[in-house]
Formats: sequence, C-alpha cells, structure tokens
Amino acid sequence: MARRLMVVGLDCAAPRLLYEELLDELPTFQELLSQGKAYMRSSHPPITIPAWAVMTTGKTPGELGLYGFRHRKPGSYTDFYIANSKLVREPRIWDELGRRGLRSIVVGVPPSYPPRPLRGAMISDFITPGPEASYTFPPALKAELERRFGPYIFDVPFRIEDRDRIVRGLWEMTEQHFRVLEYLASTRKWDFLMFVEIGVDRVHHAFWGYMDPQHHKYTPGNKYENVIRDYYRLVDEKLSSLLKAVPRDTVVMVVSDHGAKAMKGAFAVNQWLAEQGYLALGPVDKPGTDLKQAPIDWGRTTAWGWGGYYARIFINLKGREPRGTVDPRDYEDVRDTLARELTSIRGPHGERWDTKVYKPEQLYPQVRGDPPDLMVYFDDLSWRSAGTVGWPTPYLRENDRGPDDAVHDWLGVLSVYDPQGSYSVDGIVDITEVRGIMEEVMGLRG
Amino acid sequence: MASEKGYTTVSIPVTLHRRIRKIIEGTGFTSVSSFVTYVLREVVAAYEEEKAKEPFTEEEKKAIIEKLKSLGYL
Repeated sequence: MARRLMVVGLDCAAPRLLYEELLDELPTFQELLSQGKAYMRSSHPPITIPAWAVMTTGKTPGELGLYGFRHRKPGSYTDFYIANSKLVREPRIWDELGRRGLRSIVVGVPPSYPPRPLRGAMISDFITPGPEASYTFPPALKAELERRFGPYIFDVPFRIEDRDRIVRGLWEMTEQHFRVLEYLASTRKWDFLMFVEIGVDRVHHAFWGYMDPQHHKYTPGNKYENVIRDYYRLVDEKLSSLLKAVPRDTVVMVVSDHGAKAMKGAFAVNQWLAEQGYLALGPVDKPGTDLKQAPIDWGRTTAWGWGGYYARIFINLKGREPRGTVDPRDYEDVRDTLARELTSIRGPHGERWDTKVYKPEQLYPQVRGDPPDLMVYFDDLSWRSAGTVGWPTPYLRENDRGPDDAVHDWLGVLSVYDPQGSYSVDGIVDITEVRGIMEEVMGLRG
Repeated sequence: MASEKGYTTVSIPVTLHRRIRKIIEGTGFTSVSSFVTYVLREVVAAYEEEKAKEPFTEEEKKAIIEKLKSLGYL
C-alpha cells in the first residue's frame, strides 16, 4: 500500500527566506519543516522549466533536451521554439504512478501545457496561453472548475511599472489556486498531489530590491518592503487550510526548483562579443535593440549569445549554421578560448567576478535537443545576461527589460514532513534525486 | 478479442454503466455502448488533434514571448 504524498512546489523559494528570515512568522511551514530542512541543488541551468522537468523525471536537462524556456530552431540565428509538455519524452512521476494503478492530481507543474492524459487530474502550468485554451485533463474538468472558481488564473500580469497591480494579481491568483486545490483534494481520490505556486517566483522577481538591504536599490521604509513577507504569510495561511482538506496521514514535501538572490545587474553579452570581435555588429542607434533587428554580418561572425538568467553562447559553425564561419576543426579551440575570455570578465569597477562557463557535455551524461555551445553564469548568477545591444556600456545596472530585483540561485528548499515520523531529509540533495525521494517516501522503492 | 464486425469489448464498472443508462434515457442514444463510443471518439479526436499540431499558435507564441521578456527570461 503506497503512502499518500502531497508535494508543495514553491517556484523559486529561497532557503534564506523560508528557513531563516521569515520562518518565525510562518506557523504552517514551521510544522512542515520541523523534521529537517534540506537544500535542493538545482539543475544546470537553474531555470524553472528544466528544473521542474528534472525533478519530476529524475533526468538531467541534457537527457531531456531542455535548457530553458526557449530553444534555438536548428539552422536559424534568431528563431526559437518555446518549451512545452510535449518536449518531455521521459516518463514523469505521475506516469509511473499511473502504471502502478495510483492516482495523481497535478496542478501547475512546469512544463505541463498542453496537458497530457494521466490517471487522475491535471491543470497545466503558467505557460498555458490563457483560460480559453484546453488546460485540463480530463478535458471536462475545465468546465467543472470554471463553474465554481471562474477562469483559471495562470500567472500574474507582470508590468514592472505597476507594482500595485502585481500585488493585487498575486493575491487574487494565489487565493484562487488554493481554492481549486482544496476542491480537487477533497473531491478526487488521489495518492499523489503535486502543485507549483508560481507566485513565489513572481514576488521575488518584482519585490526583492524593496526587501533586501543588500540590493543596490533598497531604501529602508519603502512602500513595498513587506510584500514578500506578506506573500509568504498568505501562502502559509492557505496551506494551513489546504492541509485540513487532506487526509492526516499524508506525507508533505515542500520543495523549490531553485533559489533567489539579489540581482547586481545585467551584462549585455552580445555587446561584449562585438567589442571582442566575435560578433560583427554594425552601428545601433537604439539602446535595447534585439539581435533580430540589429545589423549583423553573419558571414563575419564567430559567436553570438542569448539573454536570460544565464547566457547561452552559440558558435557560428560551418556546416551547421546558414552562414557559418568556424571550421569544425577549430570548434574546440574557439570554444576554449571564448570560455577563458568569458571567465575572466571583470565587473564594472574592475572587481573580480566568479563567472562559470560550461560546455553542455561537461554537465550531462547525454546532450539532446538544441543545446547552446557554451553556458555562462556571470558572477555565479548575480549578473544576468542581456541579449540586446545598443547600450553605452555592457554593464546594465538596471535590467534591459523586465524585473531587476532578483536573479536565480543554486540552492532551493527541500523538506519532508511525515506524520508518522519515519522519513525526513537533510543536507544537500541534488535535484535529480528528488523524484527518487518522492518514490521512496511513497514506499515504491526498495 | 475483436469481432469480425470490427467491435471489441471494454469493461466499465457496473455502477458507471448504470449511471450512463440513466443519463441517456429519452435521448437519441439507444445503448450505453453507443453513448460511450460517441463520447470517447470526441475525447480521442481532441488529443489526436493536439498531438498533431504545434502547441502554440503564432499569436499565443507572441504573447508568451512578451511575457517571458517582461519576466527577464529572454
């Protein structure tokens, strides 16, 4: 007989907040974390879509062929496709549980749009285009939910110029999510329930600089100083109510896909590549110009890059790219030289950075899909990568676009609360091991 | 085992059979089997269609890209 497991997924939840600074004010989490607080070491890259896919399959991003939210279309310099559930070809934990006759409720676990059949119920994740899409399994569940809770809210409207709206949206979305979870948990038979609340990620990205005295834009006593704390309290309160709708012997795992820390700035990687002679970029008038709109002579370009919380670097390889310049015989030399130069980049004041550069094959047992040639974490993720060009300097204190508060960090949270006290975790656990822990907790291993 | 007519048997719980019989009373469905076949065809066709097409339309893709940009992922 399998133990019943509920997995509380908090996208981006940081140990510093959940384990240290806020825990005193979070009675539900205090109880759930009382049997041990482990650190979950995220995937390469520590990005939402690959990380949750790794956690639910036990495979690395290389084996899954998932390196972020988007992937380059082979043979194109600037076109890409967006990650979705169909790209995950390895069985996810609920597929395996279904094969064993166990039922799952899966809500918002990336990537899960489009929803795929499972033994149980599913609501797809925040990448769902909107409530007009077919976002549940079984399909009829959508109408059942909408009659009770209105159109499902997949994400919060994220306009950084209107932070009040983000706050309202976060509260509205999270309250609805938990109402839906309570409903599903109490009307369905289930052995495994996993949900991911994306609001935790959004609140970090939008409000970290208002909360963290270490952030360069922090001012004490600002209007939004307590938004993150209040949001964690909201989640704590809603979780308390959800736990009442769940059988008492349920094991509860709390886990995040990666952590968060203050963002120091964005580094305009393509501008740097142009300065170093790798990217043949013509004059650009407008700061923040996309590479797609920029005058690039691809026939004289060696490498180009992508922005995001980490940088992806592509080599303009002959035979692979439409106007490739790098001979396959020189490919490794070019990668090695570029990796060395990227590693030695210093900060805006000449300070040393802890930049990490990897070749995908160094990180994964298998490299599938459409990987970059190099993966770069500027100053160990503290500086994100900006793909746009036309800036007066590659060091952007404010972001080129989007939020400039938090970046991702390597360590997330992981705890197991077993009402029978027979299972707990501590130490540092690699994200690829989390699925095994879920199965072990349920009594399906060994 | 498939019959020569191209039909086979699928087992469903007796209680579910009873519930279906009740809801098709007075409708055009003359048997539980014809109702189940009709409903399942709809569901299966929807998934086959899903499987064949790109998950996002061009418009949806644009909206997602804008969202990912505003979130700092691109």
